[in-house]
Amino acid sequence: MSKNLDKVLYIDLGERKYEVAERPELFERFLGGSGLAIELLLQECLKGIDPYAPENPIVLAPGPLGGLFPSAGKTVATFKSPLTGDLGESHAGGRLAPCMRMAGYGALVIRNSADTPALLEISGEGVTFGDASPLTGFSSLEVERRLRACAAVAKIQSIVSIGPAGENGVSYACVNVDRYNYFGRLGLGAVFGSKKLKAISIVGSGSIDVPDPELYKKTFKELYAEVVETDKMAKYHFTGTPANVLVLNEIKALPTKNFQQGSFECAEEISGETLGEKWLDRKVSCPLCPIGCMHIARLRPSFASGYEYEPIDVYNNYESIYALGSNLCMKTAEEVLRLIHRANILGVDTMLVGNVLGWATEAFEKGHITKKHTAGVAPKWGDTEAYLTMMDNIASMTNEFYAKLAKGVEKAAEAYGGEEFAMALGGNGLAGYYTGYASVLGTIVAGRHSHNSNAGYDIDQKMLHQTVKPKQIIDSLVKENEWRYVLTSLVICLFARRVYTDEKVVEALRAVGIERSVKDLEKLGAEIYKSAFQFKLREGFSFDKVKIPRRVFESPTANGRLDEAVFKNMLKEYIETEFKS
Amino acid sequence: MSSRGTVRLEHPERCIGCYNCVFACSLELFGTISATRTAISMKPCSPGDRFVVTFCSGCSDPPCVKVCELKALQQDKDGKLKLVSECDKCETFDCSKACITDTLPIDARTHKPILCTQCGKCAEVCPHEVITYKETGNEQESRQSALHRLR
Repeated sequence: MSKNLDKVLYIDLGERKYEVAERPELFERFLGGSGLAIELLLQECLKGIDPYAPENPIVLAPGPLGGLFPSAGKTVATFKSPLTGDLGESHAGGRLAPCMRMAGYGALVIRNSADTPALLEISGEGVTFGDASPLTGFSSLEVERRLRACAAVAKIQSIVSIGPAGENGVSYACVNVDRYNYFGRLGLGAVFGSKKLKAISIVGSGSIDVPDPELYKKTFKELYAEVVETDKMAKYHFTGTPANVLVLNEIKALPTKNFQQGSFECAEEISGETLGEKWLDRKVSCPLCPIGCMHIARLRPSFASGYEYEPIDVYNNYESIYALGSNLCMKTAEEVLRLIHRANILGVDTMLVGNVLGWATEAFEKGHITKKHTAGVAPKWGDTEAYLTMMDNIASMTNEFYAKLAKGVEKAAEAYGGEEFAMALGGNGLAGYYTGYASVLGTIVAGRHSHNSNAGYDIDQKMLHQTVKPKQIIDSLVKENEWRYVLTSLVICLFARRVYTDEKVVEALRAVGIERSVKDLEKLGAEIYKSAFQFKLREGFSFDKVKIPRRVFESPTANGRLDEAVFKNMLKEYIETEFKS
Repeated sequence: MSSRGTVRLEHPERCIGCYNCVFACSLELFGTISATRTAISMKPCSPGDRFVVTFCSGCSDPPCVKVCELKALQQDKDGKLKLVSECDKCETFDCSKACITDTLPIDARTHKPILCTQCGKCAEVCPHEVITYKETGNEQESRQSALHRLR
């Protein structure tokens, strides 16, 4: 195994000290990414601690393929989630993984809290503890710009930072990586904020050596060809993930009006195609990925007469467009982009804030909340200005009501009612695939309650054309939950999952000196999935306590109305299959 | 690796910052993956949040060659730089400092300048023809760029 992957960098923010420990046994067993980060979390995080306490660790782990192969350079973060109170696991792209590896670290553990706003500058030479006071209150977009400008000599640098929502502890604040990437859901930004950690800069000044350059070159060439010459990643390159808007609208799986509908009359207006034709400025890539899935739109709001425009670039993707678009009945792409941009400036996760705004609009309509709560705002579907104001209020928690909204949709509904339309599962907001049984079940049984942990939505889409028995759904979810933990331990981007078949994964690992069979990997995936639940259960998660909003069984999905009894049986069967031992 | 062509910065504005060129270069020159042991510099650049790719431009009267007191650094008739004698006694790194485009880095391990060998490996993996490779005397591109392979 590459020798620069054996080291864990431990940083103590309170003591302003760091140490580098060689832990080859950990890397040998878990390889990297999710597997390693969950193991380090289990070691570092004391049982039952407050997620906002200094004892909550932050773990960042790239993987053995990071910085070496196309579309395989993501980084996994683990922490105790301020949103759900159990496993916080989030993945981001950008230049972070190659920078960490080129600085010589296979993982990073951040312990304790700083007394004053902190900036960590990490390189192969070690860690510098800087003062982030001048950056306080600024958005991640501005922080990134400033730190990048200061470090002009760096050949490859990654900048990780939080915005005001993270500083204030919004439980779904995100962490920005290199401007266009996010550790989005589950609230890593709030953990940064609680530690007074504003930003990290990592410079990758070293190299990643491979044991056999000729074998590596050959394997790289094959994988690169798979990425560019086949249609396996075409969707992500051309229209990008927003291509889903029309596809899901067609099958009535595009969550609209807080999941009251599965299709939206203005879908065309906010589609990936409309964005591509009218708003797209350019595409951006992560290192070694030729795809360029990050679609950057250009907004130029006028701020004064005389042709005065503010040039704004907005990274957009399908989930953001659903959550702050169809879910809130936003009628034009421009309005959706404005909402996404505000979320990015504040540093809140677009999906979760969209969820919260959807619930708040409906709760206001139904009288659960009034203008007294909302500080005079009267939210209604499609009202851009109201939503912008509410996002600002959430980020700074201007009153008790907004402080509750800052805790997520489940907590807000517990306090004010309307739990039947609080669209979260396991505490995490629902993703934009209202496809059927497998999507809902998949979200509940995923380690991080995320749609892309097991792609239940894919099974549901198959079910539109063919019969799929409950047993097949369960088997597929079990398999995907486990296999995807293999991919995210390496850390292969899930957009490239069709390129990295099991044989290709084995070949790629071999090219960097790691010998594993498909069977070995499958076993590892199962083990990591169990570890994820070991942490969740330890911190109080239980399948019995998962709240399922009534709307899931009332509002029809792409596969029609879901039957509660049928669903509960499936959940029971899943738990028996996966957790019987 | 010998080659009979030149690399060109053809469409710099199309760069998506994928670093494939940077790492293809370090792999070719040093058999490793690095953003410092490479003849290509990639900088994410403000304002405008764009990527700036630079490498040796093959100047017609290269200042790097002129300042080399050991006469180790020379340019052949195609514009390609080469080391004709040992340069590792140099402590001044004048060649690197003289480069007006800041594209002649000194390798921290060998203490020699990292020269672009015009091998074209960078162009081969560029998905948007930011960098292209043309054979000398042949207007046709001799390597199929990834753009035309992209589906």
